[in-house]
Amino acid sequence: MADKKSRILLWQPMMANAFYALVPIVIASVYFFGWRSLALLVIVNIAGFLTEYAFCRVYRQPVSSAVFVTNFLFALSLPPTLPLWMAAVGVIFGLTFGKMVFGGFGRNVFNPALVGRAFIYVAFPNHTNAFWSDPFRGFPAGFAHFAGDAITGATPMTILKQGGEIPLVDLVAGFTGGSLGETCGILILLGGLYILWKKSADYRIVISGFVGFLLLQWIVWATGTQGALAPVPALFSGSFLFGLFFFITEPVSASQTNIGKWIYGFLFGALVVIIRTFSVWREGTMFAVLLANVFAPIMDLAIREIQAKRKAASR
Amino acid sequence: MNTNMGIFAIFFSAIFTQNILLTYYLGMCSFLAISRQVKASLGLGAAVIFVMTCTSALNWLVYYYILVPLDLVYLRFIVFIVVIAAFVQIVEMIIERVSDALYAALGIFLPLITVNCAILGACLFMIIRGQNFLQSVVYGCGSGVGWMVAILAMAGIRQKMSKSRVPKGLEGAGIALVIAGIMALAFMGFSGVIK
Repeated sequence: MADKKSRILLWQPMMANAFYALVPIVIASVYFFGWRSLALLVIVNIAGFLTEYAFCRVYRQPVSSAVFVTNFLFALSLPPTLPLWMAAVGVIFGLTFGKMVFGGFGRNVFNPALVGRAFIYVAFPNHTNAFWSDPFRGFPAGFAHFAGDAITGATPMTILKQGGEIPLVDLVAGFTGGSLGETCGILILLGGLYILWKKSADYRIVISGFVGFLLLQWIVWATGTQGALAPVPALFSGSFLFGLFFFITEPVSASQTNIGKWIYGFLFGALVVIIRTFSVWREGTMFAVLLANVFAPIMDLAIREIQAKRKAASR
Repeated sequence: MNTNMGIFAIFFSAIFTQNILLTYYLGMCSFLAISRQVKASLGLGAAVIFVMTCTSALNWLVYYYILVPLDLVYLRFIVFIVVIAAFVQIVEMIIERVSDALYAALGIFLPLITVNCAILGACLFMIIRGQNFLQSVVYGCGSGVGWMVAILAMAGIRQKMSKSRVPKGLEGAGIALVIAGIMALAFMGFSGVIK
């Protein structure tokens, strides 16, 4: 069986589920933001594959198809106006320092796509934070354009925080500014439920993430904190849903114990609200995922320790 | 820096938004050396909290009741480090006499702490920020807790990585610095949460 394996690429059927869930979101991103989003996706995939290939040659193992899932997720988390070379820098940094230095597939401690995104987010704040394009509407919309021409500084997070209003239908359907893959709530929900059904994502993390987010968002909203959004619009604006289904559920960097997964998801949801509402950043999903990654291993150790003690005591 | 800032705000900002390790990169050496084992990290973290709380109180008194009246403020670096070293030595001796168990758990870490730059850093920050006595003690304690949170998270990650295959050139301190960098990136998310 081993002799038939390709030496360059290792195809993992598990990863296919993630692709089926992401393809509609990719098509939607072209519809909303033009063919440029596909160009970003292609550049990111080429750069990401070459990075992983360079390392895997040294490790003498094939490139796992997981890298394309990382590439897709990374590309979909980018703002539509990002210069192409910055996207390449981000994915190269993320895969190198988020994944390959830890030994490659299945050994990463942090989510590689978000390590890369956090890097360019902090290194090029103007390009990743200030320029957004308005989405196209009607038909053929983005299919007839390369890039959106209207460049604004506004995502729903900004507009709603400043007291503006966006119809809920637009928020749910995705007719808002934002990163390529984060705007269309319906497709993300469908794709997310699909990978939940296929068990590529763990339901514990998703449910507790929802609970953590809605609970804390409700608290900050009900107490009238400045800049806090009402729970339902908050759910559909920004990248919370996208992060909840596709980033925080990444199995390798997530908590490995069942109790840990409940806490891990809740922590993520709560951190998104805290960072969104109180920090200098407009969006908190990316940092919340990384922070949850930071604390997941020590949490697992503590939980295993407590369980072992309980077992010893009950004997 | 606002001197009227609430005690709780000082405490939590010392842990999260201005984590002494991940925002100011102080106390790196023992962080990198000890974080291999969770138990040792726990012990060292507890020792850092204790020493930081006490020395920031002591140094506050020394600074405002000895150095400032005598116009010897320019000597603060030497004086602070002497106070820290003397305090740590005395504590070590007392612990050795009083409790063997505590000495076994904490004793070996105390000499390490004398040269931990995070301790001196916390003392200098409290002067720069013009905090009053209570604020300084709370700040010292919070910084210690923040340091412990960081080293514990690091120890957990390194434990989890025991199965990873890190490239030869990056083993040990190299990969630890990469992890610390990504942790710092994640902690940037807190910036501005508590002003």
